[in-house]
Amino acid sequence: MSPQIALHDPVLRTYFWIVLISLAIAGALLGFVRFVLKKETASMFKTYWSWILIAGIGFIVVFLGRVPTIIGVTMLAIYAFKEFARASGLHRDCWMTGAVYAGIVTVGIASVISNPRGEEPGPGWYGLFVAMTAFAIALILLIPILRNRARGELRHISLAIIGFVYIGWMFGHLGFMANDRNAYGFICYIIFATALTDVAAFAFGKMVGRHPLRSEISPNKTWEGALGALGVAMSLPWLLRFSFPFFGSWQLFLTGLIVGIGGQLGDLSISVIKRDIGTKDMATTIPGHGGILDRIDSLVYAVPLFMHMAGYYYPLR
Amino acid sequence: MKKWLYEPVRDVDQAPADRLGQFPREPDMIVHGLRSFSALIIRGLLRIYNHFEIVGHENLRTNRSLVMVANHCSHLDTLCLLAALPLAKLHRAFPAAASDYFFQSVPRLWAAEILVNALPFARQARVRQSLSLCRELLANPGTILIIFPEGTRSTTGEVGEFKSGIGALVAGRDVAVAPCFIDGSFRAWPKGKRFPRPRKVRLFVGTPRNYCDRGTDKNDIGAIAAELRDAVNELRPTNGSH
Repeated sequence: MSPQIALHDPVLRTYFWIVLISLAIAGALLGFVRFVLKKETASMFKTYWSWILIAGIGFIVVFLGRVPTIIGVTMLAIYAFKEFARASGLHRDCWMTGAVYAGIVTVGIASVISNPRGEEPGPGWYGLFVAMTAFAIALILLIPILRNRARGELRHISLAIIGFVYIGWMFGHLGFMANDRNAYGFICYIIFATALTDVAAFAFGKMVGRHPLRSEISPNKTWEGALGALGVAMSLPWLLRFSFPFFGSWQLFLTGLIVGIGGQLGDLSISVIKRDIGTKDMATTIPGHGGILDRIDSLVYAVPLFMHMAGYYYPLR
Repeated sequence: MKKWLYEPVRDVDQAPADRLGQFPREPDMIVHGLRSFSALIIRGLLRIYNHFEIVGHENLRTNRSLVMVANHCSHLDTLCLLAALPLAKLHRAFPAAASDYFFQSVPRLWAAEILVNALPFARQARVRQSLSLCRELLANPGTILIIFPEGTRSTTGEVGEFKSGIGALVAGRDVAVAPCFIDGSFRAWPKGKRFPRPRKVRLFVGTPRNYCDRGTDKNDIGAIAAELRDAVNELRPTNGSH
């Protein structure tokens, strides 16, 4: 990945046009709802403008190359964890949040540097990247011992571990995928597919939604929306087959399942956390979307599953 | 198992720009880290660019609450006073900043929150509310308030009249008040200039005073303000200029 390669990469170019056309179609549809059907769309327009901004920034970062992509993903993870810490009250414990930030930064570094013993193909230190879960948990458990404290520490330990593993490490896979030979195809596909699946779930739910999916977790989600989104997610791997031309039908099927079910499970798992804490959104960083974490929730769940699925069948780097 | 209690920040559903104006703030490690880091850079720059020097450093050595009272001619003043504090106390130091100036635009708000940890002080309306906020802060031991009782930057370099609010804040309370004189900041960065100039800046810290035995009626607080103004003015070096 580098700007020179990006300019001539057919996959990235195709995605550029796909995203541009999707945004144009979405804009036209919103305009139709607003001006022909005369419905209230102010909040949807806010969400739409944010989508344009996200797409623009995303393309610029991926275009700039491997290291900017990894740095971008690491910064997103740091900010998403900051939101999580503020929403759960963990931010008052500087030591724990500091340990998690250090862990997230190390995940980013492990994605950038190569194995110093040179035993791995391509860039990125996969061994350290995977081992970081153990190292970070060891560091987090060390903190109460160093501070000689036990009261209420289990809560902080749990919050810090879920914060690191879920937000830092699992989401960090997106950065590590920048080391793959097929980086553009994988990264563009997984981001585009989870985003489209989210929008599809919202749209189907709005149009034909009747039966609540998980009434105790997220009252606005419906079975109709979830199944519609699953349908979209299952057809996408075949429609966008150019992203991973070496995938067989079994891998395409698994990709569909991971995005269609995994993405929505990611959405629901963040909803469980929000419900228990008692907030509606993790923060209000992106107008019309909520916090960074509310936006990347489905990616967090789907990206590691996708990367390890692809890594099981094909040499990635 | 009893219910686990989470304590989310109060401003969790506020937009980032609105959150900046909030006080008291709920900063996390990133804000603390940025503030300490920029404080180190600011200290270095002051030392090199303005040959910054502190006289009477030992007068600030206390673990109790402290009010630093100084003359004001430049934005450098706040940075100089903060530079006199140990880094560990930085996050407990609140320079009172005019809410009508610093809490209006996002870049100023950002500087006010991250760099100096400013306390929004309503100098025109609701002065009483701002003063009671200051009192609440001072009730926590270890708090440091930085106050410029002139209420605005001086355009001549002379020390103007002190507003009586400073008297009302410290009268009858057991809190140390350290008079400070900043010399040279007027020449280095006067009001209206875009960038600071490389002129020498010195900070003189006087012996802390205590006004716990004074009354809180109008005459008394006026007298305290006048006394503090004299104390600040006396620290001015005889051969120095402003």
